Amino acid sequence: MQAEVALDARLVGDLAAVEAQASTAAQLARQATGGDLDAFEELIRCLQRRVYGFAYQHLRDSSEAHDLAQEIFVKLYRNLGRYDSTRPFEPWFWKLAANTTINYRRKRIPMPAELSDDSAGETQNPQHDPALLEALGQLDPAYRLPILLHYYADLSLEQVGHSLDLSVAAVKSRLHRARAQLRNALAEMDE
Amino acid sequence: MTASESRSLACSRVRVLLEPYSDGELAREDRLQYEAVREHLGGCSDCRLQHEQAISLPFRLRALSSPPPPGSLVAGVMRTIASTRLASRRAWTLLVPEAVLAAFILWYLSGLEGITSVASGIVGDLLGLAGWSSGSGSLPSIPHADVPLLLALIALTAIAGYHLSILIRLAPGGRTGSGRHAASE
Repeated sequence: MQAEVALDARLVGDLAAVEAQASTAAQLARQATGGDLDAFEELIRCLQRRVYGFAYQHLRDSSEAHDLAQEIFVKLYRNLGRYDSTRPFEPWFWKLAANTTINYRRKRIPMPAELSDDSAGETQNPQHDPALLEALGQLDPAYRLPILLHYYADLSLEQVGHSLDLSVAAVKSRLHRARAQLRNALAEMDE
Repeated sequence: MTASESRSLACSRVRVLLEPYSDGELAREDRLQYEAVREHLGGCSDCRLQHEQAISLPFRLRALSSPPPPGSLVAGVMRTIASTRLASRRAWTLLVPEAVLAAFILWYLSGLEGITSVASGIVGDLLGLAGWSSGSGSLPSIPHADVPLLLALIALTAIAGYHLSILIRLAPGGRTGSGRHAASE
């Protein structure tokens, strides 16, 4: 019980930090749109932990995640001119990140590294919930993306829908199915 | 659905309803089924275990950790962007020699009249060649090479080709030069 309360407190703290980060990111994006390269570099530093983590959770390979994160940021730079600074930055950015991720998976040539575990990444970062990570890895990308955007990138259902061009009802349905699949996979692992 | 039917829900049905039950949607939308699932969970330990999983899953997902981003990520992005900016600037700069060469060629050919006379000369030579190959005429004489015009045309073609290759690289979906493969180039 105490552990749950501690986890709740940590999550509330994390959410507040994410909101503060979103506001800073929006400010930096506005400056970068005007051609300020230092602001853009600061924007990358501000987003890199979440973007790299998102890419890593999606691809389960540290060097592939590095490539994908880099591609997302280069796309961000090229598309900054299209960003309407009167609107919130995060949903717009995550839509771009989700599209880049979908296209990245389409054009990616399977590499031998995929067949083996990412042992280098794991030794640097011991997994605290390996069963869930394995279950997440087994999920279809169509279900994994909404899960990661909602729970990992902390986007609301509306923002996930906007990022993936889905209605809120469709996002809810995918999240339900994804969680049910994760639950079944976890139950199978327990048996 | 009647109250008695809903009370006798099968485990498989309860598992399907666990997600909307856990996030409160079922309580809002179908109170009867909500009560039925609740009652079922009271007497079925397997489904109760699944329910506990369903409740803890969002917390576990939010608490997932990833390795920290590599230190080279920001530098790699900035390097790629710098080369993109350089290519973009070069693409604009190339317009100057292209415009100068095009103006020279136009001036050299004395505007539209000169172009028309060159074009008619080329058509005449081609027709002469066609006549010679069909056996109805003699081989036309080799035209005098106009060295300045030829050099200007070769230079313009080379610069335009290089310009085009830069524009293709800069186009959305073109080779971005990002990623660790490009970084090692």
